[in-house]
Amino acid sequence: MEQKAYSLTPYLLRHKGYYITGILLLLAVDLSSLYIPQFTGNLIDGLAGGNFGMEQVRLILLKILAVGLIMMAGRFGWRYFIVGASRKVEYEMRNDMFRHLESLSTSYFNTHKTGNLMAYFTNDLEAVRMATGFAVITVFDAVVMTLMVLGKMILYVDMKLTACAFIPLILVAIGCYYFNIYMEKCQEQRQDAFSLLSDRVQESITGIRTVKAFVQEEKDFGEFERISADNMKKNLAVVKLRAIFGPALDAVTGISILIALLIGGKMVLAGEISIGKFVAFNSYIGMLVWPLIACGDCINTFSQAAAAFRRIASIFEEKPDIIDKALSEGELKNIKIQGSIRFNHLTFQYPDGTEPVLCDLSLDIRQGEMLGILGRTGSGKSSLADLLLRIYDCKEGSLLIDGKNITEYPLAVLHRDVAYVPQDNFLFSDTLEENIAFGLSERITDRPELRKSIRQAAKDACIHDNIMEFPDEYMTVVGERGVTLSGGQKQRSSIARALLMDAPILILDDAMSAVDTDTEEKILENLVSLRKGKTTILIAHRISTLRKADHVAVLTDGTLTEYGTHEELLANKGFYAHIYEKQQLEKGLEEEQNENS
Amino acid sequence: MKIHDTAPAYKGNVLVQLLSYMKPYTGRVFFCLFLVLILTAFDLYRPKLIGDAIDHFEQRGEYRLIVNTAVKYGAVLLFGFVFNITQTWLLQKTGQQIMHTLRKDIYRHIQSLSCRFFDLTPVGTLVTRVTNDVEALNEMYSGILVRLFRNIVKIIGLVAVMLFMNRKLALISFILLPVVAFMTWLFRKIARKTYRKTRTALTGINASLSENISGMRIIQIFGREERKYEEFEEKNRKLYRANYTENLVFAIFRPLIYILSVFSLMLVLGFGSLAVLDHVISVGMLFIFAQYIQSFFDPIQELAEQFATLQSSLASAEKIFTLMGEDSKVTEDEHPVILKEIKGKIEFSHVWFAYDEEHYVLRDVSFVIEPGEKVAFVGATGAGKSSILNLIGRYYDVQKGNIYIDDVDIRRLSKKQLRSAIGQMQQDVFLFEGTISGNIRLNDDISQEEVKQAAEYVNASQFIDKLPKGYEEPVTERGATFSAGERQLLSFARTLAHKPGILVMDEATANIDTETELLIREALEKLMNGRTTIMVAHRLSTIRHADCIMVMSKGKIREKGTHEELLERGGIYQKLYQLQMQ
Repeated sequence: MEQKAYSLTPYLLRHKGYYITGILLLLAVDLSSLYIPQFTGNLIDGLAGGNFGMEQVRLILLKILAVGLIMMAGRFGWRYFIVGASRKVEYEMRNDMFRHLESLSTSYFNTHKTGNLMAYFTNDLEAVRMATGFAVITVFDAVVMTLMVLGKMILYVDMKLTACAFIPLILVAIGCYYFNIYMEKCQEQRQDAFSLLSDRVQESITGIRTVKAFVQEEKDFGEFERISADNMKKNLAVVKLRAIFGPALDAVTGISILIALLIGGKMVLAGEISIGKFVAFNSYIGMLVWPLIACGDCINTFSQAAAAFRRIASIFEEKPDIIDKALSEGELKNIKIQGSIRFNHLTFQYPDGTEPVLCDLSLDIRQGEMLGILGRTGSGKSSLADLLLRIYDCKEGSLLIDGKNITEYPLAVLHRDVAYVPQDNFLFSDTLEENIAFGLSERITDRPELRKSIRQAAKDACIHDNIMEFPDEYMTVVGERGVTLSGGQKQRSSIARALLMDAPILILDDAMSAVDTDTEEKILENLVSLRKGKTTILIAHRISTLRKADHVAVLTDGTLTEYGTHEELLANKGFYAHIYEKQQLEKGLEEEQNENS
Repeated sequence: MKIHDTAPAYKGNVLVQLLSYMKPYTGRVFFCLFLVLILTAFDLYRPKLIGDAIDHFEQRGEYRLIVNTAVKYGAVLLFGFVFNITQTWLLQKTGQQIMHTLRKDIYRHIQSLSCRFFDLTPVGTLVTRVTNDVEALNEMYSGILVRLFRNIVKIIGLVAVMLFMNRKLALISFILLPVVAFMTWLFRKIARKTYRKTRTALTGINASLSENISGMRIIQIFGREERKYEEFEEKNRKLYRANYTENLVFAIFRPLIYILSVFSLMLVLGFGSLAVLDHVISVGMLFIFAQYIQSFFDPIQELAEQFATLQSSLASAEKIFTLMGEDSKVTEDEHPVILKEIKGKIEFSHVWFAYDEEHYVLRDVSFVIEPGEKVAFVGATGAGKSSILNLIGRYYDVQKGNIYIDDVDIRRLSKKQLRSAIGQMQQDVFLFEGTISGNIRLNDDISQEEVKQAAEYVNASQFIDKLPKGYEEPVTERGATFSAGERQLLSFARTLAHKPGILVMDEATANIDTETELLIREALEKLMNGRTTIMVAHRLSTIRHADCIMVMSKGKIREKGTHEELLERGGIYQKLYQLQMQ
């Protein structure tokens, strides 16, 4: 399917009504804003000429009030409409970005750090929002205002005077442009120096024990001082620029007024312009300053936003690697996995890897069997799980479920019929109940009777008693602002989550490493009885976990090196037997401690 | 366990503390304040000059007078420019210097805290103190205090000058100012509330994003994309609504203040015109008043903003000084004993120790280790083995009993000498960003030759030589590119290069491949050669070769002796050994 490049236009078009209204109001504000200085000038002229009575004064005051009210309404309006529209664009873009991320494959998330992806949603989106909101206002305002004020100055006051007074002001726009570019460079350096400082402090404090152990405090402090001093230097560069820029701006405006005073003064005395016009002219100069500054700023805002938008668009250019078979709900119901698995000369390499993690692996898992997998870190155990869950695709024909290629099954079926307990035990900051029910397609709110099965699954995973000790029991919120669970509690919660699905295939990837041996024993017993007739794959480091398995497969560097029952493998005197001996000592110590208490 | 992230409030006056950092720069600051006074006077003088010119026009004065005014205006401009730069630069510089000093003070203080403190305080909190919190103070030193001063002076100056010029017109002009002040105050209050709401919504959405991105695998595996999208959209909508309200508040407030300024202008022009018509004031005066009344609006609004910033600066300062008040220190003796050399005799005498003053992890532990002896501690997790290691380097102080090194209580020894003499090796090896040789040498004066020798001696050179850049191979954040075994070997080289007299180590239990494990074992034997060694051991092979084995359980030493003695005794150790040998 050919897809159009991601673009900002549809978002803007969707809110064109808001933008047009806002811009019209802005125009009204800009037009009216010229009248207040003019009216003030008229008043002063009238008074100076002596031909004004209170009647005329009142009239002018009313005019000023009318203009003031129009401006108030207009100022409210443009902000409401334009900034409001930019917020809507931001909201819609954020939703679309998230939805697209959800469709991307694991390999994308492996190569893109969470922090970087977050930055798209925060900094980059913010830059785009500024460009679609305030910058629109600024740019429009700046151009219109400059033209109008200049027109007024020329038409209402004097051409020559305007030309003279305007020359220094052009410097403001040019100066601002270069100032911004230079400033950005300084800011970047400053930002870098600051991150360096943060990283340094972070590293030193994290490694404080090593620093102390090797008595490195003095030298570490020296290094810190150097970085902090550098930070100061970079800050001062920014400060210097600001210290000069602000007063310089002020001075340039002052020079314009000075020119107006000298040349305009002569003209007033010569009777070429009135005092009132002179007064208005002074106000006009003041009104020109900010649009000119804004011109310089806007160029920057837009170029930053363009860069930010390109980064955001890069997410949308990314396509998922796993192609799903889309089927209707009814069709999905009819496909059911039985649970026999066959790895047939499977060789697999991660898309970003340089060598295969699994090499010519052949293994049959009968339906209802409990298979244990043992191996060192990096031997390819977890890759087997990845392939079964179709996080990655392997070569056609090398992984069969119920005799059919895994790609024959829609993802929705796999996700329903293959339950999984991951190594890293990821729980969401939600209630425990919701976390355990995460794998079910129904919602607890729709089917309250699910609560019973949730509690049963928690009991089977030996986490029920712990949950009941929490202040809000099953409604306890996990994580940041809730109760922090221990590693073992998290593992057991994820086991409950997988058990609740009661799926034909269950994969536990090193799921009990943080659970103590007694509890592990209980969970294993429950597993054996609950998983009767259903396929279970147990990936583990501990022999105690694997003992209950029907067969154990030992992986070494991606190849199957040992296979058999516990007894067979012990007799084999290979890696399995070696690990077994090693773990006996630890177990002995544990038992000793328990006996003593 | 208590976590120190919500630290107790700092007792003492934060402002006084903050000002004390300004002390070395008193002269400079006062000079700047003086310049600010002049600048404020200039600000007030400029409209007056234009007003004067208008009066000259009206009286059909000579052009010479206009030129005169222009010269004065030019002079004010020039001096204003110079003073402004001087003032801003000096103050900013002062602010930066204070920040630098403050950072150093905080960092020094953090360094001096005991390990207990680091066990309880998240690293992120401490980093924030040194970086962002100090940054927040800069705003105060270099900007807010002076701008606050400037605005107050400006307002007082404006009021005074206007009253002096024409009291009645001045008082009339001021009528709306309290309303402006009140509105600004009200706006601040509302804005703060809406701001807090948007912040919360934004934090919520960021938390949800970071959680969902890191948990995307799980979301996809369980096929829960749709539900998570709905949740995300809900959060996003909340943020949108908060932003909408915020925008509305600003959209209403700014025009309101604007219309007030129009009203004020109308008041001045109305009553001013009356006065002009009555020949009480000149037209020029009316111009000046019209200009002045508009200059009132900015400082009043700025003041409100500055008070808010000041408040947040003070909040940061409070956090900083709370940390500075933290005194969980392992303090150095006032007159520390410095030994000629540390021979390596270690004695624990009735040591009781708890990390939290409550749950004792060591209970009445006593033993003596002679120089050169190798002792292995054996026991289950939580038996207190690692605590013994921590105590020898005095990372914590004991509650009861004494620890002696070469018969001197370690609390009397110089910490520097003590820790230099101990080569402490942790299970989890910490590598710094930099290079391999930098990680062996650390910041000490150790020649490249010595670095290489150390690495060769402990078998680390084998993998280092295979790296593309050898000893100069970069080490990234926390040494993530090296395996656990390689990190272990690097830490051996590091320890050896620093030539400790006593070796304290926690044997790694991590998964290390057989080949590396052999290298490590060999390296260890070399390292232990001739050094007093205390280790927490997990491998029977390491334990067997120790001169003395101490079996710990529940904070007590249950058995001690050589491998053979313990086997003969038929206690815990023998049981363990048999289990292993089955």
